[in-house]
Amino acid sequence: MSTPVVELEGIVVTYRTGLLGGEGFDAVRDVSLSIGEGETVGLVGESGSGKTTLGRVCLGLQRPTKGTMRFGGDPFGGLRQRRGQLSIVLQHPEWALNPRLRCGASVEEPLLVLGVGSGERKQRVAAMLDNVGLDAGFVSRYPGQLSGGQRQRVAIARALVTQPRFIVFDEAVSALDVSVQAQVLNLIADLQKEHGFGALFISHDLAATRYLSHRIAVMYKGEIVEDAPSETFYGTPDHPYSRALMSAIA
Amino acid sequence: MTALAAIRVRLGRLLREDGLSFFGLIMLVLLVLLGLVGPYLPIGDPTRIGAGPRLSPPSWVFPFGTDELGRSYLPRVVEGIRATFLLSVVAVVITAVIGTMLGMLAGYFRGFSDHLVARGADILFAFPAIIVGLLVAAVVGPGQISAIAVISIATIPLFIRVVRSVTLGVSGRGFVTAAEVAGASSGRVMLVHILPNITGAVVVQLTYAMSIGIIIESALSYLGLGVQPPQASLGSLLREGSAYLTIAPWLVLSAGAVLSVAIMSVNLVGDAVRDGLEPLKGRLLT
Amino acid sequence: MSKGSASALVEIDDLVIAYDTPAGPIRGLDGARLAIGQGETLAIVGESGSGKTTLGMAAGRLLPPEARAESGRITVDGVDVVGAGNEELRALRRDRLGFIFQNPMSALDPTMRIGRQVARAIGGNPAVETIAALLRRAELDDPDRVVGAFPHELSGGMAQRVVIAMAIARKPKLIVADEPTASLDASIREKVMVTLGKLRGETGASLVILSHDLRLIARHADRVAVMYGGRVVEVGETATVLEQPAHPYTRALIAAAAGNEKPGQRLEPILGTPPVLTARCEACAYEPRCNFAEPVCATTRPEERDVAGRGAVCHFAESVLTRAGSQREAGAR
Repeated sequence: MSTPVVELEGIVVTYRTGLLGGEGFDAVRDVSLSIGEGETVGLVGESGSGKTTLGRVCLGLQRPTKGTMRFGGDPFGGLRQRRGQLSIVLQHPEWALNPRLRCGASVEEPLLVLGVGSGERKQRVAAMLDNVGLDAGFVSRYPGQLSGGQRQRVAIARALVTQPRFIVFDEAVSALDVSVQAQVLNLIADLQKEHGFGALFISHDLAATRYLSHRIAVMYKGEIVEDAPSETFYGTPDHPYSRALMSAIA
Repeated sequence: MTALAAIRVRLGRLLREDGLSFFGLIMLVLLVLLGLVGPYLPIGDPTRIGAGPRLSPPSWVFPFGTDELGRSYLPRVVEGIRATFLLSVVAVVITAVIGTMLGMLAGYFRGFSDHLVARGADILFAFPAIIVGLLVAAVVGPGQISAIAVISIATIPLFIRVVRSVTLGVSGRGFVTAAEVAGASSGRVMLVHILPNITGAVVVQLTYAMSIGIIIESALSYLGLGVQPPQASLGSLLREGSAYLTIAPWLVLSAGAVLSVAIMSVNLVGDAVRDGLEPLKGRLLT
Repeated sequence: MSKGSASALVEIDDLVIAYDTPAGPIRGLDGARLAIGQGETLAIVGESGSGKTTLGMAAGRLLPPEARAESGRITVDGVDVVGAGNEELRALRRDRLGFIFQNPMSALDPTMRIGRQVARAIGGNPAVETIAALLRRAELDDPDRVVGAFPHELSGGMAQRVVIAMAIARKPKLIVADEPTASLDASIREKVMVTLGKLRGETGASLVILSHDLRLIARHADRVAVMYGGRVVEVGETATVLEQPAHPYTRALIAAAAGNEKPGQRLEPILGTPPVLTARCEACAYEPRCNFAEPVCATTRPEERDVAGRGAVCHFAESVLTRAGSQREAGAR
């Protein structure tokens, strides 16, 4: 087995309340997690369980208070240094894209930041939009003219355009209708088979997570209480909290 | 639809439906035009002493009468409009640029720079504009520069506070996080992703600041701290006229009426812009 | 509908509601028909744009000002909601209707202590014990603390229990709950729904749940109404409709939802988008997306028929029904 794309070891994130420190609050307590190439790890838990914070740690947006994080076996370094290798797809389709930029410009931005030449940029944007099932006309459209599902497709195109090694999906399908949700879930699964990125799929929806993930980590009060293959979650998981989550979809 | 296009559409509809705002817009356009072309209009020289008898009441030759030096008052009022508007616009635009920059930095970087800028704005906000005016005039001397400085000091907290809070909101949106993860520089994030999404709020503050600017400029000139004679502004005309209030009331009336119309029209247009930007206000369901 | 009897609390008959937009009117409801019985729990499901929220909110005429009832009728407990005067409508909303919205935090006034808000919902000048008793009925653990708390001091689940308590405070005849648990954590959704069901039983009210969560509906609703294109396209007992759907749209919704699939099985999304109706739809609104469509579907508007114990608006409901058994196998392709 090759080195994992993302490796977390003993991660602790403490938020300090107040200006001068004072009482600390551990959002993430001693979490270890690794995500391999071409693997989707689901991260489920209630709001406030620390799953979004953990996602931010994986992307280098949040510096852990304690613990080490490696990216492809090396220390993480800075975000500038990792550009093109990471990306994110977020909830809220209405805010996923800058409403003042045409969709083409949104998808193009990661390439621009990476310093790819103009001709190649246009070509890769067109190819990527095609890849997520949108025709070339979307390049010149504004997000306001798109449906929720289309916007989420554009956001996925933007996330994939640099062929990153790791993508975080943070509640990426939660705001979508059932029928559109299935389209986007299938799209993510297909693109992963094609491009082989590692993914962290953060959601409070166990059903969607279970469908997409190879492995599921259940987070409760800042700790991972269960980390098991997703097949386990079609049967009976071990931890009582996992079983409480299951009750909502049984 | 982008925010600016939304303003255009909404503003257009509102102005057509709302007669008062439309009246305000017409008055504002007239005043600005008057200020712009004033010096070329065949209404006489505002500085010519003894153009007519002293303190003569309005007549066909001198529609707004004449002042104590026999100068025709109409060209002086037109000159006053020009000076007042020019000063306020220059001051407010400079303030908007600086205030937006500071507010955006504070809202995007938060932390220490946020504390510094936000508390600074609070301190400026706590000083009454007239006291600041006296202080500035004492340091740099009365004149246009100190008037601009005072308007800036009085209105910059408006921009900083509002821009900071809308920046905080925009910074939390998905597209900003996505750009950060893609490795975009802070400058790029602010210029490409934040600034275009906060222009609506800046425009609304501009209209507030404009009416405050006109009031402050007039107050300073009235106190003799702004525009210096022989140049006229609406404030200084009010002051000159007030000495002859009992024997030549048309001086104060004409300058005062124009000043009131100016402030009212800026506020009416400002309200229309605000309503245009908040179309969902007062709705039960969205 | 199929059970439209004299005991119906809410009767919706051929209701057409249009929204005025700059581009002309758009139909939110296109001849919706539904009867809600006394004391039943009815779920309305459908995608966004299907008209389920319009239908639910129409019961209290809680629609935005650009919405307009073009034709049809909706009566709630004998009151003609469309034609009612403002005073009559206020009385209806106050005494006979209770609403529960998706986000409890936005339903509560952030500047007012819970006790005062609940007191207002009860009306008059209730004693603290009365307020606490009501909150206890909504299964809040520590009602005395909740009475003195501000909304932001409560968790989402507690806040929704407060909203539920307020909705039943005046013993309404009808409770409309719009995605009541969608903003809550998965681990407490079930408990909140159980509380809601228990209180519905105690008050004898009818409960309408607007939701797209089929699993939640399967457990908590007596009957289901599936909406598409501003009409109720299938309505019947929950088990009947969800286990043996007679409308292709119901079938497609079930096949698209994650949660029923076996490991490794692929979900079947519904391709295309819901229609935007500018006038009365003279065909089957689902025809462009339908796997069962025949030429007649594009030319003739289907009317509701009784098909195997439920109402269905489909020309070919019988053949959908017989092929429904092979649905999972078809999904595994």
